[in-house]
Amino acid sequence: MLKKSAILHFSSTLVEKPIISDLIRNHKVSVNILQASITPEEDGTMFIQVEGKSSDVGKAFSYLEGLGVKLIFPAKNLMWDEKKCTHCGACVAQCLPRALTVDEKTKMVVFNTERCIACEICIPACPFGALQSVTDELL
Amino acid sequence: MTKTYEEINEKIKRGKAVVVTAEEVTGIVKKKGARKAAEEIDVVTTGTFGPMCSSGALLNTGHTKPKMNFKQAWLNKVPTYCGIAAVDLYIGATSIPDDDPANKVFPGKFKYGGGHVIEDLIAGKDISFEATSYGTQCYPRKEIAIKINIKDLRSATLLNPRNAYQNYNVAVNAHAKHPIYTYMGILRPNLGNANYCSAGQLSPLLNDPNYRTIGIGTRIFLGGGTGYVFYPGTQHDPDTERNEKGVPTGGAGTLALVGDMKTMNARFIRGASMTGYGVSLAVGIGVPIPVLDEDVIISCAISDAEIVAPVWDYSQDYPEFKGKPLAYVSYADLKSGKINLRGKEVETASLSSIMMAREIAGTLKKWIKDGKFLLTRPSAPLPRASVT
Repeated sequence: MLKKSAILHFSSTLVEKPIISDLIRNHKVSVNILQASITPEEDGTMFIQVEGKSSDVGKAFSYLEGLGVKLIFPAKNLMWDEKKCTHCGACVAQCLPRALTVDEKTKMVVFNTERCIACEICIPACPFGALQSVTDELL
Repeated sequence: MTKTYEEINEKIKRGKAVVVTAEEVTGIVKKKGARKAAEEIDVVTTGTFGPMCSSGALLNTGHTKPKMNFKQAWLNKVPTYCGIAAVDLYIGATSIPDDDPANKVFPGKFKYGGGHVIEDLIAGKDISFEATSYGTQCYPRKEIAIKINIKDLRSATLLNPRNAYQNYNVAVNAHAKHPIYTYMGILRPNLGNANYCSAGQLSPLLNDPNYRTIGIGTRIFLGGGTGYVFYPGTQHDPDTERNEKGVPTGGAGTLALVGDMKTMNARFIRGASMTGYGVSLAVGIGVPIPVLDEDVIISCAISDAEIVAPVWDYSQDYPEFKGKPLAYVSYADLKSGKINLRGKEVETASLSSIMMAREIAGTLKKWIKDGKFLLTRPSAPLPRASVT
């Protein structure tokens, strides 16, 4: 079994379609909607967890992509935007599970998503907005 | 053995100059000795990249039609200073929009301010410009609201009153029972973390502790373009205590810097939001040091283990302007990720990016090696320590 989180961006025309029902019925996956913002005739976003056999989960996401839904796969509820990061390291002393560290040699910040517990304490510590909460920033 | 600026520049022009970074020079001097290293090496490049609040941009928009004398002006809603001539204005890095909630809901986020406007200008983005005036017979226009772009400005000059601090404090929270939000970042209670902000052995003034080659008129790397030292920075204090090697053990010298924003690259000039504190600007600076003689290279060979910084309590002593440092720690220890304070292992975090400092020193090295960047002899020295 595989559980995978994703942020879905729908265009206003796609908002009219029962995509999530189709997803569940046709791909034998269960869907947990963690957050959604859907208004008729406007672009919509949704943060979901899809669970099922790994092949089914893969097909489910391919189906969404085929419809033109834009997908983002965040590491838990925290995203590290490497383009905004200046690798100063202001975040590392805030990160108690040591998901954010500075590489000894390159002096670059490294984000280990496995260790991240999405406590979000690092977010206000970053002067450059490189750490973002998925639910705050994208939904 | 001595070399002159002219001899070094001749070698640069011929593409024959030997240039190394302030990190590389340490090992070379250790291996070959100062005399041999001074013979072989012509220039040492330094670099630093960190938030430097005392920064800003002096802009001239060119005249509007009809003409106008700006009295209040905003760039992307961020207020500027217009108490100068008609279409001159200065935007400080820490300026925030008039309607920013600041710290009303604590800690404030300070998502956008002067530092971000400066970054966006350099990135070539369109910026909203609004201004008002009382109107005069020679400058009748009273209002304007347009989009501006750096390429259309008559001039855009980065004009920073104080940058490149020679050494700086390490900040901790020793007394508050809760995290505190400072310009040195978030400090957790009970010595939860120690934040520092210097590139250490790569930092420009730590490689020239007595300002022998860095002075008024020194040409530098500034924000990805070319800039100059135009004066000692505000708060320049050469008389700060020094160790046996003559290296200051706290904030000492500073540089006032100037450069053409139109030549800069937004990778090296970044708006910074300090939660609970305000907005700042991270500035990328690289200063070349000509190896005039053995003494110059001995200063450049300094390593992180030989530079110490004072640890200050930002929950009480620092804001109340009292007390003394809790301890002195070396940059080698700070950069290792942990220091020992009062018998406790404390995690360290840097606000100054070593990776970017390396990139800047490396870029300047390449410019000089490629013959694109010549060195300048200062037209006057920075004030030096009264007793050295």
